[in-house]
Amino acid sequence: MNVITNHTINSTIALAALEEVLDPEIGLNVVDLGLIHQLDFDESGKRIFVSMTLTTQFCPMGETLTEAVKRVLERTFGSLDVQVDLCFDPPWTADRITERGKSFLNR
Amino acid sequence: MSSGFPKAAFRNTPVSVVVPFYLYASVSFLVCTLLLFVSASSFTLHYFNPAVLAITHGMALGWASMMILGASYQLLPVLTERSLWSNKLAYGSFLLAAVGIPLLVYGFYTFNMGWPAKWGGRLFLLSVIAYLFNIIRSCRTDKRINIHALFMVTAAAWLFFTVFIGLALVYNFTWPILPGNVLTYLPFHAHAGLLGWFLMLIFGVGSRLIPMFLISKHSDRRRLQIMYVLVNTGLLYFLSSFYLNLPYAVLIPAILTGITLVLFVGYIYRVWKTRIRRKVDQPMQVSLLSVAIMLVPLGCLLLLSGWWISGIEQSRVVLLYGFIIFFGWLTSIILGMTFKTLPFIIWNDCYHDKAGVVKTPDPKELMSSDLFRLMSLTYLPGFLFFSAGILLASVFLLQAGALVLVLSALLYNLNVGKVWLHKPRV
Repeated sequence: MNVITNHTINSTIALAALEEVLDPEIGLNVVDLGLIHQLDFDESGKRIFVSMTLTTQFCPMGETLTEAVKRVLERTFGSLDVQVDLCFDPPWTADRITERGKSFLNR
Repeated sequence: MSSGFPKAAFRNTPVSVVVPFYLYASVSFLVCTLLLFVSASSFTLHYFNPAVLAITHGMALGWASMMILGASYQLLPVLTERSLWSNKLAYGSFLLAAVGIPLLVYGFYTFNMGWPAKWGGRLFLLSVIAYLFNIIRSCRTDKRINIHALFMVTAAAWLFFTVFIGLALVYNFTWPILPGNVLTYLPFHAHAGLLGWFLMLIFGVGSRLIPMFLISKHSDRRRLQIMYVLVNTGLLYFLSSFYLNLPYAVLIPAILTGITLVLFVGYIYRVWKTRIRRKVDQPMQVSLLSVAIMLVPLGCLLLLSGWWISGIEQSRVVLLYGFIIFFGWLTSIILGMTFKTLPFIIWNDCYHDKAGVVKTPDPKELMSSDLFRLMSLTYLPGFLFFSAGILLASVFLLQAGALVLVLSALLYNLNVGKVWLHKPRV
């Protein structure tokens, strides 16, 4: 799983926080599921841009997941504005699941 | 790289549209098992009798079709990558079917082909037209139509055709509009529904959802295309054989359907082998059982296509064939899929705005695993007893099997009620 970012430290904090957001059907968090593509932090320090995907473009849980990601990052980074964009190019594949995620699914 | 999809692109069909279908189907299942118990002796007679017709239509329309209509409204965005065109029309289709089905079943049970059966058939036909229109409008897209959507639209078209022929058969009791014996039309009416509607939809939905639930990389569009052509060719050959007097009217469609079923089972097997999610939950296990049960009616069909059975034995095999399809294959897939979808629909409604804020329960916690296990344990013996009762023409076995199935349906309804009545805990 590779997450593109322009701020390594903040990105590490953000990804740790996003491990709270679980896909309700699979029971795995959005980070280990490989749903987060990119985390960019605005130079002025006022905004976070998140580019994420879903396991399927019209996932019934899509809105719930994107809103949960937004809420968790807003809570973690205080007053920062969070913008979540969905990206389906390239589409999600099981190859994006982390090793930790795979071992969770193998249990 | 970021395409910034608008939120509206993945808008779910509202719970208020989908859940009434699930609840209606659950109650229909219970009613049908009760009818099965009180009419058990009818299953020792020829299959064309009022109780068998009533139960068949109760199962086909009230149970299986209502559940599938509700689920397809919910799953349409997943399958077609488009939102549902009209929620109001979807709800309208529910109301029309909800009133029409009991009238039709009552008409068959009392063999009153007057106003109850006619109005029942008319209302259900209108419901199907509303569904078909909604699905076609929802699938309209500039992009190349995906194979799952194609299965779904074609299935809806076959459903329309099935119901249209069915209504013509009902009218035929009052005004003979169809030439020849009414019994000659029944196999086509039945198979347009079974293969055209149920099987096509299960292929389209199953080939998308099962890999999704098991997290499998396997995808074989070509195989799905071949299956689509084979099943439709088989059905069209069967229809044409009525008018063109074609040879092997049953055998050729049975072989084509058989190849399709084997291809589907092979597809699911590949999905199973390449799955990343090793642990398979109970509802998924029951749904996968239905994939295996699919092959059993095929054996009956091949038996029926030969000359070696006739008379009473043939009627019993036909009854068994229908019973395995409705109470075996379709019921097992619905019993499993209800609890793969309903808890998530309700969970999403209850906790949509709470995820990421507070700890929410797992969607699977909305249902009772104990009730599900008991339901599965009672369902299988009930199904086997009743099947044996049909083959042996034993009223005792039929009643015993039906009673156990009533218990299974009760447990299913209790679990559906538990999920539906769930109140948010946070």
